[in-house]
Amino acid sequence: MSKEVIINNPDTLADSEYFLGCLLLVVGLPLLSALLCRLFPARRQNVITTLSSLLLLTGLAAAANMLRMVYDTHVVLKFPWFHLGDLSFSTGFFVDRTSALMAVLVLFVSFLVHIYSTRYMKDDGALSRYYAMLGFFTFSMLGIVLTIDLLTMFVFWELVGFSSYMLIGHWQHLPSAATAARKAFVMNRIGDVGFIVGLMIYWVQSGSFDIYLLTFIDGNNPEFISDYSQGLQTAGALCLFCGVIGKSAQFPLFTWLPDAMEGPTPVSALIHAATMVAAGVFMLVRLHALFTPASLDVVALTGVVTALLAALAALAQTDLKKILAYSTISQLGFMVMAVGAGAPDAAYLHLFTHAFFKACLFLCAGSVIHALHEAQHGTHAHFDVQDVRNLGGLRHKLPFTFAAFVVSGAALAGLPFFSGFLSKDAILTALLYWKGETFSWRWLVFGGAFLVSFLTALYTFRLIAKVFLGEERETTSLTVHEPSWHMRGPIALLALGSFWFFVSWNPLNYHGWLYQPAKADENFHSALLVFISGAWVLIAGAVAYYIFRQPRTAHVPLLLNSFYIDKLYTQTVATRTYALALLTEKIDRRWIDGFLHYVAYGQVTLAHLTGWFDRVIIDGTVNALAALVRTVGSFTRSFQGGKIQLYIFWSVLAIIIFLIWTLF
Amino acid sequence: MQPYLLSFLIFTPLAAALAAVFIPAGAVKTFRWLALAVSVLQVFVLVQLLATYHAGGLQHVEQQPWIVLSLGSWGVFRAEYFVGVDGLSMPLVALSVFVLLIATIASWQTTRQAKGYYILLLILNAAIIGSFVALDFLLFYLFFEFMLLPMFFLIAIWGGPRREYASIKFFLYTLLGSILILIVMIGLYISVHDPSSPGGLVHTFNLLHMADPSNIVSHAILDPHNVWRLGPLDARQWAFLLLFLGFAIKLPMVPLHTWLPDAHVEAPTPMSVLLAALLLKIGGYGLARIAMPIFPDAALYFSSFVAIMGVISIVYGSFNAMASKDLKRLIAYSSVAHMGFVLLGLAAVTPEGVNGAVYQMFSHGIISAMLFLVAGVVYDRTHDRTIAHYSGLSSRMPAYTAMVLVAFFASLGLPGFSGFIAEILVFLGAFKSASTNGLLHESLAIIATSGLVFGAAYYLWTLQRMFFGPFDLKGGIQPTQITDLTVREYIQLVPLALAALAFGVWPQPVLDIIDPFAQQFCEHVLTVGKSVTFKP
Repeated sequence: MSKEVIINNPDTLADSEYFLGCLLLVVGLPLLSALLCRLFPARRQNVITTLSSLLLLTGLAAAANMLRMVYDTHVVLKFPWFHLGDLSFSTGFFVDRTSALMAVLVLFVSFLVHIYSTRYMKDDGALSRYYAMLGFFTFSMLGIVLTIDLLTMFVFWELVGFSSYMLIGHWQHLPSAATAARKAFVMNRIGDVGFIVGLMIYWVQSGSFDIYLLTFIDGNNPEFISDYSQGLQTAGALCLFCGVIGKSAQFPLFTWLPDAMEGPTPVSALIHAATMVAAGVFMLVRLHALFTPASLDVVALTGVVTALLAALAALAQTDLKKILAYSTISQLGFMVMAVGAGAPDAAYLHLFTHAFFKACLFLCAGSVIHALHEAQHGTHAHFDVQDVRNLGGLRHKLPFTFAAFVVSGAALAGLPFFSGFLSKDAILTALLYWKGETFSWRWLVFGGAFLVSFLTALYTFRLIAKVFLGEERETTSLTVHEPSWHMRGPIALLALGSFWFFVSWNPLNYHGWLYQPAKADENFHSALLVFISGAWVLIAGAVAYYIFRQPRTAHVPLLLNSFYIDKLYTQTVATRTYALALLTEKIDRRWIDGFLHYVAYGQVTLAHLTGWFDRVIIDGTVNALAALVRTVGSFTRSFQGGKIQLYIFWSVLAIIIFLIWTLF
Repeated sequence: MQPYLLSFLIFTPLAAALAAVFIPAGAVKTFRWLALAVSVLQVFVLVQLLATYHAGGLQHVEQQPWIVLSLGSWGVFRAEYFVGVDGLSMPLVALSVFVLLIATIASWQTTRQAKGYYILLLILNAAIIGSFVALDFLLFYLFFEFMLLPMFFLIAIWGGPRREYASIKFFLYTLLGSILILIVMIGLYISVHDPSSPGGLVHTFNLLHMADPSNIVSHAILDPHNVWRLGPLDARQWAFLLLFLGFAIKLPMVPLHTWLPDAHVEAPTPMSVLLAALLLKIGGYGLARIAMPIFPDAALYFSSFVAIMGVISIVYGSFNAMASKDLKRLIAYSSVAHMGFVLLGLAAVTPEGVNGAVYQMFSHGIISAMLFLVAGVVYDRTHDRTIAHYSGLSSRMPAYTAMVLVAFFASLGLPGFSGFIAEILVFLGAFKSASTNGLLHESLAIIATSGLVFGAAYYLWTLQRMFFGPFDLKGGIQPTQITDLTVREYIQLVPLALAALAFGVWPQPVLDIIDPFAQQFCEHVLTVGKSVTFKP
């Protein structure tokens, strides 16, 4: 296979063997880790965990190096994958700052999850499969991030779905895990069908899936986009967005993500921070240029609806991980909203900061669950450790986890001096400009975003209060230990990343190495919006404190069931589909086969009829004729009996008849 | 030696079958090894064939007069032994040899009436390969019919409890298809003359001559100028429709498919494998080789109809699979759904669509073989395929579960497996048809994509019910019967899994072979199809 290298930068970075080596390591090492882990039996767990963590660490180093090299440039590498005549389907890499940074993020979170899992998944019977799938998950996500080709992106898009299926259903003996895994895959498939239709539209319109060509030529694509009709462009963009709705758990396909909690908690951290739901937002950022204004409006509306519904649902959940899951959905809605408002960079910033604090929150939750499970072991206490109604006051027993949880929770809530504040601020600023001067529906979206940030502070505070503050409930009698450094180390690193200085040196201004908005008005922003949103979150915190200081449990079925959307699917859509399936089976059995059987019966009946006709009519006629002949024959034969008396009798009789005949 | 590779492929199993007649019936091992030796020999021949094959048109052609009868004023009756391979048949021949080898290994435990079994298997072997390489309609028809009888007996004698019903249903359905094809074959025979024979009217069964409208005898029944009509259609359209129905039964297409689930459920595992992987492909092959090139005008006329039937097959087959309570039945219905893609791709008459359709035949051959072998594994142990009778098998059969995962995910079109390449090409081709040749509406491709969702739903649901959750067995199955894969089962499954993976990651070698055919097919059907339609 010949390598077709397009060099877009004069430094000939694409020819640099050093760069290509890094790229190969970034993509290859997670895959290698996946393959190697499968070779060892689960009982060699030290080998598996050490080897895969080291491979990931090397990959991370290579990714960081790659980021350094492409920081001010980009590299396009294209290879032919297959071709039909002159129609070619290529694949390749498109490494720029956006994708290289994402690759670093993915590998970083994945590496920490690898470390964390060494303890969390200790003595798991299927450890080699677990680690292999972690590696494969990372590899698939890197494929989405670094590829240049939409079709290749779709390939990895589906592989991410497959890996998540395997990891969510990792504990195969649990029926709930199997259900959740299937649900995640099928929901994602529904979105992916939209993605495929999008692929068809772009294929017919441009004959190319090259992301670089489709999006990158300074916004106006003379070659490809120009002859699109506006309607088809919108349709294509919305079809791609369907994929995002599935993968990034947007309304109305978000119900798989809360259920995906059935997987091991480190997997949840991976899914929520870097490798799965992030793919959708990343794709929106990557393909932003393909979206027409009309399609962006749909994107923004979907985002705000998702963010609001999920934030409300998060308020009422009782499962520790489900609260976090709904919070992720809500935050993803926030990012999608930002893309819809024409600020993909702000969405990307939030994706980046969210990865840190959400991974941290999940790993902390995992610590709580792990510590309580270990404490429960050997005692008679068997309460559900994920149910926040059983928890409380854990700040004394798990001080480290508490501290990390508060830090990352503050980032999630968007408190000043934390990364979440800056990225949220970037999105709100973008929305502020997008909504325009005169009132329109966009103002509602903007208001919705503000409401979401309020709700976020509310449910975050509730979560912290339920788990760590107040009095201990079921855990009073247990001796709880903080987990080992394998689990605390990753948490500490991620908590560190939840502070502001990763985004910008100024804790109140998001302008930094990650985000340089083109149009945002700096003065206005720093003067007004920072103040408003900071105050807003503090008000939310006060309200939350007022509401949640008592250990009471509000029971709101509508929110607990997240507006019954999941019930609608399982009880209406799924059962109807199955009823339809049973109907088709009945059609097959009763109508098609029934028709055939009737034809067969008819045939047999006809055969019997013709048989009867043969036997009775034809054979009957023949037999009757034969009988007649026989009768006549035997009658005439009787004339010739051979007795002389008989002959004389017949002769006399004949003479008498003759005489009578002639005389009368 | 080289020019006779195809004949060698066809006649080796026939010679072996003849030899087997003289071996005493008790020598079960001899029959096994004989069949295996034939298959291995065929693999070597195939390697030679592939090594000398170069992407392009028809090659390895053998053409000998077979039947020549002078009929006086009626002309000359001539049929030829005419075989060759091109981009359509080469992948299918390769697939056949590969799958036949695996089916022979899968037959290893057949000891009941082994002599009859292996003789029939060898005849079937020859007939399958013969029908893929025959270029003379009469020869094709002969092989086509010869496939039917061994399969009938193999199901009827070595099958499951309802084998008689299933085998007779299979036989009657396929025979009906054969008769439809026979009618058109006679019609074509009297309508086409051999241009290479100077002087006198020489009719021919040569498929290549039949595809060229200039060889049609004027005023013959299938002459495009013929004004004869029956109902709304003219003679050529009727002929296409008959051929289409004949091959659609074999494919099978909804609503002519109900023989397939029954035949699969009752057939012994190796026969299910051959049935799904190879015999179904004759349907698609016949459409692409005979029906559409010979009647391109009618093919264009009916393209929407064909595509709609394909989409119906995809959706309806998926729904039926979802409702199946028997594992083999589920897989059989998934075959119906997957063969719908072949119809959709061929009807689009775009390079992507036709490549995708042929690739789908090739890929489905690999994947469905694996699926039926996987279903056979559990049936061998327990003689029970009811999905509801199993739960949590993954804890007792981890290796088997891994193989089932591979097979199911390959079949539901996960990228990285060959099915994905085929399906994405069919989707792109069917969607593109509207803007390039205007045959199909875009919505057909869009509706067809829903098959992906349903496929994921029924496969993952089955995985969940049978393999995940707590280990539990019902219906009188003993836990001692549940044992993991044997070495022989590995030998059958691993090559198929690797093949599905390899052709999903690197499709170019196969596409290189298919593409010249697909391009030529599209050009022929579109140009000839449009030029032939000069109706009075």
